[in-house]
Amino acid sequence: MGAFFKEKTMLEIKDLKVSINEKEILKGLNLDIKPGEVHALMGINGAGKSTLVKTLSAHYDCEVIGGSITYKKKDLLEMDVAQRANEGIFMSFQNPVEVPGVNNSYFLKTAVNEKRVYQGKEEVDAMQFLKHIKEQTAKHGIDRKLLQRDLNDGFSGGEKKRNELIQLLLLNPDLIMLDEIDSGLDVDAIKTVANVINAMLDGKKSILMITHYDRLLELIKPDFVHILSEGKIVKTGDYNLALELDEKGFEGIGIKDESK
Amino acid sequence: MRVNEIEGLSLPKKYDEEFRKIDFSKLFSYDFKNVKTYEFDIMGLKIITDEASYENVLFDITRSIDNKQVILTINSNIPEPICLVHKINEDETFYTNSLKVEVKKGAKASLIEVFTNTSTNSAYSVNRTFHIEEDTDFEYAKVQHIVEDNSFIYNGNFIQEDNSKCKFTSFELGNAFVVNNYINIIDNKNVDYNLNALVKLHKDANTSNLVKTVHNNESSKSDINFKHSLKDEARAVFKAKSIVNKEALYSKAFQNSNTILLSNDASIYAQPHLEILIDELEASHGATTGTLDKEQLLYLQSRGVSKDKAYDMLLKAFESQIYDNISDKLIKEFIADYRRSKYV
Repeated sequence: MGAFFKEKTMLEIKDLKVSINEKEILKGLNLDIKPGEVHALMGINGAGKSTLVKTLSAHYDCEVIGGSITYKKKDLLEMDVAQRANEGIFMSFQNPVEVPGVNNSYFLKTAVNEKRVYQGKEEVDAMQFLKHIKEQTAKHGIDRKLLQRDLNDGFSGGEKKRNELIQLLLLNPDLIMLDEIDSGLDVDAIKTVANVINAMLDGKKSILMITHYDRLLELIKPDFVHILSEGKIVKTGDYNLALELDEKGFEGIGIKDESK
Repeated sequence: MRVNEIEGLSLPKKYDEEFRKIDFSKLFSYDFKNVKTYEFDIMGLKIITDEASYENVLFDITRSIDNKQVILTINSNIPEPICLVHKINEDETFYTNSLKVEVKKGAKASLIEVFTNTSTNSAYSVNRTFHIEEDTDFEYAKVQHIVEDNSFIYNGNFIQEDNSKCKFTSFELGNAFVVNNYINIIDNKNVDYNLNALVKLHKDANTSNLVKTVHNNESSKSDINFKHSLKDEARAVFKAKSIVNKEALYSKAFQNSNTILLSNDASIYAQPHLEILIDELEASHGATTGTLDKEQLLYLQSRGVSKDKAYDMLLKAFESQIYDNISDKLIKEFIADYRRSKYV
């Protein structure tokens, strides 16, 4: 059964070309992600890493000018932002947006219920939601105080990332995209991130993470490491590729920084 | 009865700087079949002849039709807000109403007024004077929800004595022709004047807010904060003028207008204006106009919230800033429970 499941592809990106402000950033990118796989995306600044995850979550900046993206056998490009989220795609923002006036807990309950309705399930009431959130945050030692405040409003960098983790736990997505979730976090906070992510990995959920930082990869071991350059994946390997990159740098493994 | 035919009444001229951007012509030339004074449902209130002098001519409309003014005196602390509900229900009628609220020395009090209508082609001209004595704390909220082919003029005149606090919050809903005219000449010290409004309009609503504040004495604060949320072809005008005179050292004078335009046809004319004659003060003024923040909209959607719901959440967040600023818990509850259907 496990083997059969593994054979299926969750996400299939073919010859993807994306431009931002009429500048072509992704120039024919191919990537397959199967259920349960952990993929790390590395590359010099401007290579197109963030553009890829932004495109996958239908960010308005990204204009797809070629190629296709199939997610769970459906055409992802036909879905809007909320639909993609409700289909199980979660993007952790590099800089989560502050939304004053929208209570964090109320927002999260709305998001959870939107997904449940999308899946044809009954909505949870306030009591059930509270119970669920208490269980999930207690399990991972995450402070719930953030929930009483407005969404990301006045949060420190670390608090914002912690809040992304709470959302991640509650929304329980299938494809988790982490755009530099480790940036600006101290070692303990990175451990919390890794603990949450590792606990969520059940053999069915997949991860696509962008990181410049080897420490996160030590804690969340990737099955595949991809090096992105000039809008394409130019090299793919396993965790050893990340180690090699850490040791030799991009030039050392034959990746030229055209901007230099 | 036509307003522009009332003998001795001088009306705003098209080119008066103060009233520019407001087109009164339809209201003033309309031939109303009846004229009526809106009577309060409260027995035993004192009635005087209104002989006060006002800063602008809009106060004279009510008084040239009926110069009687009802006096509501609050002598001591009252635990719950007084609530006055106005229902305009006769068609083709020009209504007037004049009330002076006196909050006596040391009292803490609150007042709510609701203005609604079921009439067609009627108008309501309301004069209010708030005389807030020394060391008082007065909070006032009004909901004006006038709809369809009706007009509403609200004139508010504030007299605040030393160390008095007045928080005024207005919820301006509906789709009528509305002019609010607020005057506060601050002649005393340590006065705290906070004027807030949510102007939430739709269809062909036309609402103007004229705010004039003059600081003539030391250490007083005026804080004027308007939020506009405009749909369809709604049009709003916000003209605020705050003058800080030479005697008004250490004053604080703030004005702010924020507008969300929810359609291409909605419009706002916002003019915050400060005239400052001293250096020893704090002052700021600003106006913003735009649509909802697309980054915020995307963030909410990216967690599965539909575009429409995300839109509503952000709009509510914008609008609730005025609601959140209300201090009196009971007024807050009243506003939260407000449904127009209860008052028509």
